[in-house]
Amino acid sequence: MSVEFEVTREDIRIAWLTALALGMYVLEMAFPSPLPGFKPGLANIVTVAALVCFGWATAAWIALLRVLAGSLLAGTFLSPGFALSLSGALASLMVLGLAVSVSRKALSEVGYSLLAALAHMGGQIGAAYCLFIPHAGLFKLLPVLMSAALVFGLLNGIIARSMTQVLLAK
Amino acid sequence: MTTADKTVLILALALIAALYAHSWAPAPAAESARVSSAGKPDLWLALGADREVVIEGVLGPTDLEIRDGRIRFRRAPCLGKHCIHSGWLASDGDFAACLPNAVAVQVVGKGTGFDAITF
Repeated sequence: MSVEFEVTREDIRIAWLTALALGMYVLEMAFPSPLPGFKPGLANIVTVAALVCFGWATAAWIALLRVLAGSLLAGTFLSPGFALSLSGALASLMVLGLAVSVSRKALSEVGYSLLAALAHMGGQIGAAYCLFIPHAGLFKLLPVLMSAALVFGLLNGIIARSMTQVLLAK
Repeated sequence: MTTADKTVLILALALIAALYAHSWAPAPAAESARVSSAGKPDLWLALGADREVVIEGVLGPTDLEIRDGRIRFRRAPCLGKHCIHSGWLASDGDFAACLPNAVAVQVVGKGTGFDAITF
C-alpha cells in the first residue's frame, strides 16, 4: 500500500521560502560574532516578507522549519542553542500574530521586523534564564542585546520591505 | 515607514532606555557580611554601625573594620596581606579572604548571588 500526499502550491511556496531562509542562516553562521547572541538574524527577513505577502501561517511554517532544519545543518539539534533558537522563534511568532491582528495592516515590514527581533531576543533571554542560567546577572546583558536587536530588526525590516516590493510587483 | 512603525520604534527605544536604567543601576548597598573562619560557625555582622571586630584565625587575630556600610581587613597575621589589599567590600556579593589565616568575608545584601559564573 502506498500513501500519497497531496502537495499544494502553498507547500511548495513554504519549501522554497524555507530554503531561502536556511541559505541566509548558513551564510550568517560564517560571520564571526563579537558576543554570544549577537547575530543579525537574516533569516527573519524571509519570515517577515512571508508574513506580509502570504500571511501568518506561512510565516510560522517557515520560521519553525528553519529552526528545525537549521539545527540539523549546524549540528545543534536538541542542544541548548536549539532550545534558545526555538523559544526565540516561538516568541517572535506570537508577537507577530498579535501585531497582525491588532494593527490591521497599519504596520509595514519595518515595524513587523522590529517587533519580531525584539521578541526573538526577549524569548531567548527568558528561555536562557529559565532553563540554563537562573541568575539575575543575565539581565545585565539584556539592554545591550536588545539594542543590537533594534538595529538588526530595523535593517532586516528595510531589506524585507524591498524584497516584498519585488515579490508583490510580480 | 508608516506611523505605526514609528510608534513601534519609539516604544522600542523607550523600552531599551528603561532596560539600561534598570539593569545598570548601581548594585544595592550591602546590608551584612558573613565571616567564615576555619572550624567555627559563620558569623554574621550587620554593616549598619561603624566598629572593629577581631576574628581569631588559624595564625592569630584578624581585625575587620566596618565603616559606612562597608567592611575591610584591617590587620592580619598573614605574609601576603592580599586580604588587606582587597580593600573595602561594599556591594552585594563582594568577597575577600585571608587564606593563610583561614578567614573569609562576603558581603550579602538583599539576595545572595553567585560570585562568578562559568559554563
